[in-house]
Amino acid sequence: MQEDFHYYATYCAAFLAGFGHEDSLDICYSAQFVDLCSRTLLLKIGAPQNAATTQLQLEMMDASTDVLSLQDITRIWASFHFLPRDLYAEKAKRTKRYMDRYRLICGPNGELLKKTVELAKGHGLQHAGIAMHVLADTWAHSNFAGTPTLVINNTDEHFYEFREAAGGEANGNAGTDLDSDSEGTWVKVKFRHSPSEPDDVEKGLYSNSLFQGNEVSIMNLGHGRAGHFPDYSFAKYKYLPAWGDYHELIKDNPSDYRKAFSQMVYAMKFLKGSIDLFETERYEEEVPEKYGERIDRILRKRQINACADWKEFGEELSGQEIPDFDVEKYQDEYSKAGKGEKDNTFIGRFIKGALAQKGMVTGEIFKSGNMIAGFSKAVPKDKLSIKNFFK
Amino acid sequence: MTKFQRLKRILFGILMILVAGVMVEFANDAYMVILVFIGWGFMVSGIGSMFYYFTMARFMVGGRRALYIGVILMDFGIITMSLSDVPGMYVLLYLAILHAFAGVIEILRARETMKNGSKHFKLKLSHGIIDVLLAICCIVFIKNTKIAVFIYSFGLLYSGIMYVISGFRRTAMLQYIP
Repeated sequence: MQEDFHYYATYCAAFLAGFGHEDSLDICYSAQFVDLCSRTLLLKIGAPQNAATTQLQLEMMDASTDVLSLQDITRIWASFHFLPRDLYAEKAKRTKRYMDRYRLICGPNGELLKKTVELAKGHGLQHAGIAMHVLADTWAHSNFAGTPTLVINNTDEHFYEFREAAGGEANGNAGTDLDSDSEGTWVKVKFRHSPSEPDDVEKGLYSNSLFQGNEVSIMNLGHGRAGHFPDYSFAKYKYLPAWGDYHELIKDNPSDYRKAFSQMVYAMKFLKGSIDLFETERYEEEVPEKYGERIDRILRKRQINACADWKEFGEELSGQEIPDFDVEKYQDEYSKAGKGEKDNTFIGRFIKGALAQKGMVTGEIFKSGNMIAGFSKAVPKDKLSIKNFFK
Repeated sequence: MTKFQRLKRILFGILMILVAGVMVEFANDAYMVILVFIGWGFMVSGIGSMFYYFTMARFMVGGRRALYIGVILMDFGIITMSLSDVPGMYVLLYLAILHAFAGVIEILRARETMKNGSKHFKLKLSHGIIDVLLAICCIVFIKNTKIAVFIYSFGLLYSGIMYVISGFRRTAMLQYIP
């Protein structure tokens, strides 16, 4: 997912869950910050680099693929962007090495999602924002794994997107399953390896990573082989996932993103304390009833990003202005804070949440007998602070 | 990294350095050893690719490609090891192509890294330049088989040192509040 959903749509969901304007802004800022909190940024502000929640393209280009680097990459991407659906999944006649990767395939409503949301409860708005980022990405990044692996993440020539017939939305097709010829057509997606050129949604031209036969090449991380395409809310596509035994898989983003939005509202009601229990496969029901059509319109519109539409919706909901995301907003506060005060800054609290999330996911992967993400160690609350990290 | 993986990397690195030293010491007879190494290199890559196919890629859409690559590499290995009586210049030619190819790739990667604004292109660029220089050396001294031994030993020494260094890298332990 992108800024449109992680920032503006998360603001809308937080507000609909009952948070005030300012709190909703803090939550959505943290949700979007997950996509920007790289080692480079943490180094710049003098923060512990273990807390990185993403890697810049350049950092990945320089990363090697030995055991330790792979563990580092997996910790970041599996914890925050490709939360595994089932760490104990079974598949007959497969080797352990294969299953270690297969079990990291991301998907919604897994046991780890429940743990992610529960972990965030009572730990502040920053941690709530992190959890919402993770939750939303389980829908967008389904069927790909947050570790470099060719046998899971590769895609081939067989990749088609569904294009609605002209006037599809105007004819009232929004919200229905579109796949018959009268409602649109399946068009072959053209991928090119040209990172500097923007995707062309009209011509159906998208950038992706190069094919690399090496199992652990960084090119085989997540949905790199399908480029940014799976992140677009309008995308409905079918392809042959590398792990899918030649069965075609249809992914319907508008439908999945709707569920993601409703689940975020439900999860944030839990985080706010309005409901006592968070269960998977449960969604806020009032949202689709009341705002379903509006949300559908935004999700189905073919555009590179839907920031303006979500922003307009959010401002209508709260009657307040939503400022543009500014990555530098809280950096000075953190850099200038004394060592003992850093924990209480906005970024300090974000870092605590990020470490908790990364540690929990790494620990769960390790407990399942899978060494791909390495180890983690839980420490008592009074023993850990950012200050102690520097020691 | 587990202790075993760490130990394996360090020992493998030391072994490479020792082999490089022995080859330089006995440069006159080491030409055959190089052929065996190159042949084994292909064989091991081929077997590795086939192992990858049988344990991983056969479960993957389009994974048979790994099997084909494995078989071709193994064939190359067998052919290389059977070239015991070919003149040394062919080995130098082979090394020249190998280094030139690797060098050009490294220089192109360094260029791409630089274009993207990263400062981490210097190491790649220097690797690329050294590889190209080695390729030129191979062609200039094509009539002297001893040069092939020195060039090959230099490559082994470099790889060995890198292996030993990587064996001493620290394992990150993530601490968090549950």
